[in-house]
Amino acid sequence: MADVKCTHCGLIFDESAMIIEKEGDKTLFFCCHGCQGVYHLLSSEGLDTFYSKLGKTTLTPPRNQNFEDLEKFNLDGFRNKYVKVNKDGLNEVSLIIEGIHCSACVWLNEKVLHRTDGIIEATINYTNNKAKVVWDNDKVKLSRIIEVIRSISYDAFAYDPALQEVRALKIRRDYYSRILVAIFGMMNIMWIAVAQYAGYFTGIEQEHKNILNVAEFVLATPVLFYSGWVFFRGAYFGYKNRMINMDVLVAAGATLAYLYSIYAMITQRGEVYFDSVVMIITFVLVGKYLEVLGKKHAVDTLDLLTSTIPTEIVVIKNNQKNLVALENVEVGDIIEVKAGEKIVIDGIIKEGAASFDESSLTGESLPLLKLIGDNILSGSICLDSTIRYEATKDSSSSLLHSIVTLLEDSITKKPKIEQLANSISGYFSVIILLIAAATFISWYYLSDIGFERSLIISISVIVIACPCALGLATPMSTLMGISLAAKRGILFKEASNLETLAKCDIAALDKTGTLTEGKPKVIEANFLKEFDISLLYSLVSNSNHPISKGIKNYIAQNFENFKELKLGDINSIQAKGISATYNGQKIFGGNNALMIDNGIATKNITENLVFNFAVNDGLVASFELKDTPKDGAKEMIGSLKSLGLKVVMLTGDHEKSAKNIASELGIDDIKWGLLPAGKAEVIDDLHKQNKKVIMVGDGINDSIALAKSDIAIAMGNGADIAINVSDVVLLNENVEKIAEALQISKRTYKAIKENLALSIIYNVIAIPLAVAGFVYPLVSALSMSLSSLIVVGNSIRIKRLKFKK
Amino acid sequence: MSNSIMILMLTVSTFLGALGLAALIWGIRTGQFDDQSKFIDGSRYDNEEDLHDAAMMDEKKKAQEAKSKREKEYGPPD
Repeated sequence: MADVKCTHCGLIFDESAMIIEKEGDKTLFFCCHGCQGVYHLLSSEGLDTFYSKLGKTTLTPPRNQNFEDLEKFNLDGFRNKYVKVNKDGLNEVSLIIEGIHCSACVWLNEKVLHRTDGIIEATINYTNNKAKVVWDNDKVKLSRIIEVIRSISYDAFAYDPALQEVRALKIRRDYYSRILVAIFGMMNIMWIAVAQYAGYFTGIEQEHKNILNVAEFVLATPVLFYSGWVFFRGAYFGYKNRMINMDVLVAAGATLAYLYSIYAMITQRGEVYFDSVVMIITFVLVGKYLEVLGKKHAVDTLDLLTSTIPTEIVVIKNNQKNLVALENVEVGDIIEVKAGEKIVIDGIIKEGAASFDESSLTGESLPLLKLIGDNILSGSICLDSTIRYEATKDSSSSLLHSIVTLLEDSITKKPKIEQLANSISGYFSVIILLIAAATFISWYYLSDIGFERSLIISISVIVIACPCALGLATPMSTLMGISLAAKRGILFKEASNLETLAKCDIAALDKTGTLTEGKPKVIEANFLKEFDISLLYSLVSNSNHPISKGIKNYIAQNFENFKELKLGDINSIQAKGISATYNGQKIFGGNNALMIDNGIATKNITENLVFNFAVNDGLVASFELKDTPKDGAKEMIGSLKSLGLKVVMLTGDHEKSAKNIASELGIDDIKWGLLPAGKAEVIDDLHKQNKKVIMVGDGINDSIALAKSDIAIAMGNGADIAINVSDVVLLNENVEKIAEALQISKRTYKAIKENLALSIIYNVIAIPLAVAGFVYPLVSALSMSLSSLIVVGNSIRIKRLKFKK
Repeated sequence: MSNSIMILMLTVSTFLGALGLAALIWGIRTGQFDDQSKFIDGSRYDNEEDLHDAAMMDEKKKAQEAKSKREKEYGPPD
């Protein structure tokens, strides 16, 4: 049997497992009915050019889309929260489209939305898959729009763009415009400056020089006042908070050079320094802009989290189901939750029993069975059946909400690290201004060279000491560090994080999902009797439990001839397993307890997780599963230690599995059984011992600890909230990047120190010369540029950093 | 080189450059550069059919505007 491609999703399967259909002289293959349905829908709409646009990209086969919850999109609570009515009386909503793989998907979504009657505008961003839809509510309802998107096997969530996105976007546009003006000014002034310098060395008529001076003045003015506005504003805020920051230096240096240049231009004596003005502004502005870009990334991921929290839940009143807005739920209300739904309000179970996935709260990788009378926590997910429970708290005091609030607090309270370089250069610029003033006064009164010459000498002091090198020392190095890190898939949200990371001396690592895969894998399989592997495959396909998924992956990797069979009487037995029937055979899959309940003999005694498979009361196969450490985790721990860091592992799991993993990875210090707040306490304790702590994590359960740590590193595939509170995001799951991030930050910090030393040495030599009157302003400007070049060159050396791989 | 020619050249070239800059900034301010990937990927599908689509959306918009205008005109006096 040959492998063939599914006509819709492009995934390759064995021909025997495919749905085959003849259309004219073409043979179509589909991997599932979902793909088949979408294909016919698209071709009937005349949209099948989608497939030629798709190229080699593969899609996710459509899941069984549920159209039941569509009504919620028309409810008032939802409308008030997400839908805006614009001035023409049209409705507007911002959506995140899920399932977009490539630009052809964007094209398809826009196309079907455009064809829907009543939609006035639909645009989808190619980069972050966010859509803006404007529609006429008389002609079409939002539920219909969502239905259209779902019918072509994508899904959409609403989010509130007013929160952060609009602001982030505005800042980005603003910076973009300012940088463009600065670069435009710089490029043009450079050309004119070539003529100026040539004229300086070979002679130039004063008239020509005047014309060039005026042209430079015209170009430099908007750069200083429009592009440089950021620094004036920063300097003003710094002044208000009684801090002399980097912005003051840039603003002061540029303004002084600018004012002197105007003076030189008007008196037609000496040289102008407009080129220095624009260079200072442009370089420092670009460095600042890169920081802004990083922040925008974080906003994009946060929106997805808030969009998955439901706005309304089902409350049972007088035996009737009512949808009630979250804020209106009261203590004592009976709430109904279906399988797969997220709990948003804490409570006690009154009817039914179900397994709950609390991994986002406790980090515990295995689902917990909860019975009548048990407490359930918001943030957990109901996995396998419908239950009714009584609310014990309202929405604002429930755990999920309180974690979010706690995070907001710790983000705002996070101390801003004052940069040493900035405070030094702050004093420095004050001292330089004083020295320049003293130089002017002493030359003017103590010698007979006159006002003109004294002024030029004192200005050359300011220009030669213009804190350019000092100002560039930090941003140039961090710029190089950040871009090198970004190339290697490490995203620093702020430049200052590099410096802080380099100074940390202890690393706290989360276990599940960070050091380990968080997905149990089969480590041993015993096949006792012959059986149809498709039976087992179909059975585990019916469960979302991580163990079932582990078995499913194992089959997919090790077997070829299997397909999904239609099972009957599928029954999931909480915390034990699943049973079903097929052609009169009874099949069971689950742990030892399930086998004992059904009178099937087992013999496994192991500390690992066990999955048994039985057909008709006879055990036919058993599997042992284990959560395995990620590739490279051990090497990463080793390199962290060799970089001089202490390593501690934090986990919500029990002692035995924590110790197992720790000894495998070579970690001596472990803390187990920790709740989210417990992890944060560990960080606090370390702070009390005057340690600077790195926290690495991926889940909501780590986010408080992440926010409390000095530097938080989040895995890019982790919970969005964890990514949001973190300072550093690893874009892929590769744990070795943690060590690389540290290596880069240490190298960058070293370069910063070198740069500061260089610029201080330069100033110590140059300033006395200038004070003594040996240096003309042009020479001082040249040497100032030279010192900046040295700093830039030294920073570029960071790029040559070698990594293990 | 005479002074006036130098002035003329500098003025004209700076002015032309400034025009380009102004156009670029207008583009940024109106959000045309917000989506980086669209330049690379989006333009591949920018064919006649999409032009047709854009025109259709434009008509929809106009019809909507006309409708709301009519409603305003014939609405009951406040």
